[in-house]
Amino acid sequence: MRGADYLIKRTGAALLTVFVAITLNFVLFRAVPGSAITALRCQHCTKQFKAALEKELGLDKPMLQQYTIYLGNLAQGDLGTSLVDRRPVWQNLKGPILNTLPMLAVATIVSIVIGVAAGVMSAWRRGTKVDRINTWTALSFYAMPTQWIGLMIVFYVALRFGFPVAGIRDPTLGILGEPSTWTVINDRIRHLILPALTLGIGLYGEYALIVRSSMLETLGEDYVLTARAKGLKNLRIVYRHGLRNAMLPLVTLIALSFGYILAGAIVIEEVFSYPGIGLATIDAIDRRDYPVLQGAFLLLTLTVIFFNFVADLLYFKLDPRVTA
Amino acid sequence: MKLRWIGLALTALLVAGGCASTPQDSGGGSGGAGSSGILKVGTVDYIDTLNPFIAIESQAYNAFVMIYPQLVQYGPGLEVEGDWAKSWENTPDGLKWTFHLEPGVKWSDGEPMTAADAAWTGNTIIKYGDGPTAVFADVLNHIKKFSAPDDETLVIEYEEPIGNVLAQLEQFFIFPKHVWSQYLGDKGKDLKTFQPEKDLPTVAGGAYFIDQYEKKGTTVYKPNPEFYGPESNAEAVALIYYTNSTSMIADLRAGTLDWIESVPTNALETLESESGITVDSTGSSQVDNITFNVNPVKPQNRELLDPKVREALEYATDRQEIVDVVHNGHAKPWANLISSQSGDFVNPDVKPLPYDPDKANQILDSLGYEMKNGVRWAPATSGKYAQPAHPMSYEVIVPSSLNYNGDRNFEIIKDNWAQVGVEVKLKPGGDTAQAYALETAGDYTKFDLATWNWVGYIDPDFMLSVVTKGQWYSWNDTGYNDPSYDRMYEKQATLVDPQERRDLVWEMQAKLGRERPYIHTVQEEIIMAYRDEWSGIYPDLGAYCKCYYTSPKKTQ
Amino acid sequence: MTMEAVPPPGGTVAAPVHSNQSRRGALRRLLAGDRQALVGTVVLALFVAVAVAAPVLSPYSPTAKVGDVYGRPSPAHWLGLDDGGIDMLTLLIWGARVSLLVGFAASLMAMLIGGTVGILSGYMGGKTDTVLMRVTDYFLVIPDVPLMIVVAAIWGQSLFNIVVIIAVIYWTSTARLIRSQVKSVREQVYVKRARSLGASNARLIIKHVLPQVTPLLVANTVLTVATAIFAETYIAFLGLGDPSQVSWGKLIQNSLTGGAIFSDAWWAIVPPGICVTLVILACTMVGQSMEDAMNPRLKVGHLSVHRFRLRSFPREPGGV
Repeated sequence: MRGADYLIKRTGAALLTVFVAITLNFVLFRAVPGSAITALRCQHCTKQFKAALEKELGLDKPMLQQYTIYLGNLAQGDLGTSLVDRRPVWQNLKGPILNTLPMLAVATIVSIVIGVAAGVMSAWRRGTKVDRINTWTALSFYAMPTQWIGLMIVFYVALRFGFPVAGIRDPTLGILGEPSTWTVINDRIRHLILPALTLGIGLYGEYALIVRSSMLETLGEDYVLTARAKGLKNLRIVYRHGLRNAMLPLVTLIALSFGYILAGAIVIEEVFSYPGIGLATIDAIDRRDYPVLQGAFLLLTLTVIFFNFVADLLYFKLDPRVTA
Repeated sequence: MKLRWIGLALTALLVAGGCASTPQDSGGGSGGAGSSGILKVGTVDYIDTLNPFIAIESQAYNAFVMIYPQLVQYGPGLEVEGDWAKSWENTPDGLKWTFHLEPGVKWSDGEPMTAADAAWTGNTIIKYGDGPTAVFADVLNHIKKFSAPDDETLVIEYEEPIGNVLAQLEQFFIFPKHVWSQYLGDKGKDLKTFQPEKDLPTVAGGAYFIDQYEKKGTTVYKPNPEFYGPESNAEAVALIYYTNSTSMIADLRAGTLDWIESVPTNALETLESESGITVDSTGSSQVDNITFNVNPVKPQNRELLDPKVREALEYATDRQEIVDVVHNGHAKPWANLISSQSGDFVNPDVKPLPYDPDKANQILDSLGYEMKNGVRWAPATSGKYAQPAHPMSYEVIVPSSLNYNGDRNFEIIKDNWAQVGVEVKLKPGGDTAQAYALETAGDYTKFDLATWNWVGYIDPDFMLSVVTKGQWYSWNDTGYNDPSYDRMYEKQATLVDPQERRDLVWEMQAKLGRERPYIHTVQEEIIMAYRDEWSGIYPDLGAYCKCYYTSPKKTQ
Repeated sequence: MTMEAVPPPGGTVAAPVHSNQSRRGALRRLLAGDRQALVGTVVLALFVAVAVAAPVLSPYSPTAKVGDVYGRPSPAHWLGLDDGGIDMLTLLIWGARVSLLVGFAASLMAMLIGGTVGILSGYMGGKTDTVLMRVTDYFLVIPDVPLMIVVAAIWGQSLFNIVVIIAVIYWTSTARLIRSQVKSVREQVYVKRARSLGASNARLIIKHVLPQVTPLLVANTVLTVATAIFAETYIAFLGLGDPSQVSWGKLIQNSLTGGAIFSDAWWAIVPPGICVTLVILACTMVGQSMEDAMNPRLKVGHLSVHRFRLRSFPREPGGV
């Protein structure tokens, strides 16, 4: 099957999934027993207020019409309005998303670095104790609940070494005058490092294993064995060749792991009081703010779809024998 | 609903009868205003909203004290002193009170702040007291009207003389007319939908204005340059919210925080042994309770409407275990709606029942609730509110916003009541607003039980009001509705003679004690911790005095 | 969220098994020969035994306060007490019940859903296949934790809901795996012959397809148990678990809300996590060994990324 065909098919599938996601998102939140409004609780929510709110949000219209309106709004980038603070949902989510992204990025980098290092080390020393320890360590960390890793880090590391354990930044920076850019960056990094590290440690296991196994394939080949026998001079060649082989599966795996990274990020945010998308989701639940919840859910779903699509494309490159 | 006032167990000083006084200089020190940098306060209680007409959390009320002028406040020693009012006097018949306000003051946005603002606020609250302004209606009970003969004189006319004028007015906030009068639409309902947090910085007349508000983040108070009172020592106050107390305590130890308002009891040992941190245990006015829905038209589980059943359940509750486990010994068994902060007003005859599961079983047996497989069954009833036979098994709403371990508290109650054949299940209540809405749902017909707490004032009036019909949908969470009680409530405020008032208040407590819309479990101590570099911290004046934030200063 | 990796070093690998040999025999031979699988099985069995024997085994009651809040470990209380003064060891034993129950139940349900979808999809092919695969596609992309949060909020926090939601999220990889397996079985000669003789589809599925597919299904289910237990800890940690049940996940949450960290109570923090890790590792060892032994094709395709993700990847290697 030709590349272009594959591309079109996968794009089509992705778009279809997007559409299904949007629709099911709509249905999921309308499936709340009662409507989102009757389930809403607030101090001043008298019956009349709720009725007025329903009218205002168009929830009294027939389902199909609501759906069309929903789609129309989405096309314009309108995710709805928060029931609690009456701001656009996007306003509620923008900040948290921007908070979470750097942490996710650093966590991914950490996990890749450790994963590759561990995987290479294991592959190079295949069958030995080093290999075994490495692999089992990787597996173990992967098996540990991420929040537990976080708690252990807080308990044994953070408090001992004076790392901040809460929030994204020093809340008092910038209250009395503008801090220098370096102070801000330094502060953010200090707050970012433990959550990202925790997440990275919990993640690296699978990367280590895929790097290991794909390198094993190359390293087993004759010319490589010969090279090894000749000594470290060829180390670099072997590394480059072996690693290159591992790169594509690795990156594909990373793309696929987005859902898992996200899940870990949510609980990490809870441990470290990190005001990201995870805490925002939990907060929305706590307040029964369904539009915000729905918006967050949709955004996350779309992101996962996107990353899976990227993985799809990468996979095609990985294995051109793929058929429809 | 959950006002948290931290207070010492001192007798409330009421100023009854004609008496003029001058405001004390509350606490500020020398050293120059703003010389102390930022005061960083950590809390697990958030400010739920900056709209005073819908706020429930005590942290919000603290905010209002800081940003809005009040006529009077409580100063150090819990004595009433003037805030905006410099002096006051009243006519001998108690029907007219005149307050002399600090002149030439402006709101933080530069608009003149005059007695007209006070009069407008007062009259608006009275006007819509049955509706949007109900939360403050009882504060201004028995007032006929406010008027402002000139910019610095406020006159309050009463329908009848009342005994606790100043204590009541201490709860009265004055709002800027030029901001709030735009929101009177729809019979005042817009007052409840206006969100000051969307319009920062707030227009303030008190010691601070709020420059930044994050409900579950950091709220920043900056000194109001137009403030009439003593300047803040701190350049700014940052109220930092934590989702869990572990990080909060870690930050205090690291020096990132200066002050924690409420330390979890099992962190005490660690903090006490730490140099550089002072731990201050204060009495408190927080009373934890088990809330019953006592609305007589509740359709399900009507056996809970029988006071004898609630009495049995009180026998079944081991308060000491709650004290030991949930509060690490820093609490005491309590049975009163009013906290010991109200001093003399506490009826000493209303005492906690001893923990006696046998007695509880006895009572429930005698009422005909048979045990089947460890759970008692309520027999079928007939008549207007007929129900089928059903097990005594209930859901208990536990809000997520409790400042003690609600789950642990619930587990103890669950275990205790299981011994007498009553089964309970935890229903997560969500945050304050959610949990309260669960209670008021269906006009107080849907819920059966909840665990929560009250934080009262020095003057018992507020706490006594929460079980009146007038506070339905406002502060009332039990659905209690007894006209004879309501009459007593109206009356007690009007009794000028302290002894008479006290007697009536005792009677009201006795009645509530018999009828048990709540089983009050314990009265908590509140424990504060702060770093030694700071002094001038008054643990008991939270939400009573602007000096709570203006006074602390860095001395090291 | 678990590993389907190459067999970790240290375990001998069973000889490749051909698809028309007895699968059951393979299993037995595998467990006897493969040290890794053995260790995993033993550990798992141990935990299951402990969970089953909880009422008898636990030294104290899981609800009774037997000492001080965060009492230190002592001869009477090997793992100390938690923030309610309850014996930690007892809580761990009873927690095993809930965690393992959720793990197995959710996994079983996932197996049923995934197995059914996979068999139908692989066997029927054509339109059914396409539709079912699109459905699977959708379930693949739902972010798991947010969905769990939403479901708990909307439909309430009960053990049943948790089991269902875990099953609903994690059946997809099973479906894909079974689908490819079924597709290959379907092409086999004797199946074709039976069909041409006029046997009904249902009969074919039950008599021929199912036996070929079951061992793989079982192996995959074991792996799903690990994922389910892992997912349960997330749900419990966010406070969305069943409030009346104590699971290991809930114990981890308790350590945060009860303030174990600043009370220096390591015994309330460390043990539950270790238990979860051990069980997940054990399941991984067993399940993975089973899978490798049963389906040599999987072993060969170690470059195929799908093996590393339980919630797998839209496409299979080898043109499935």
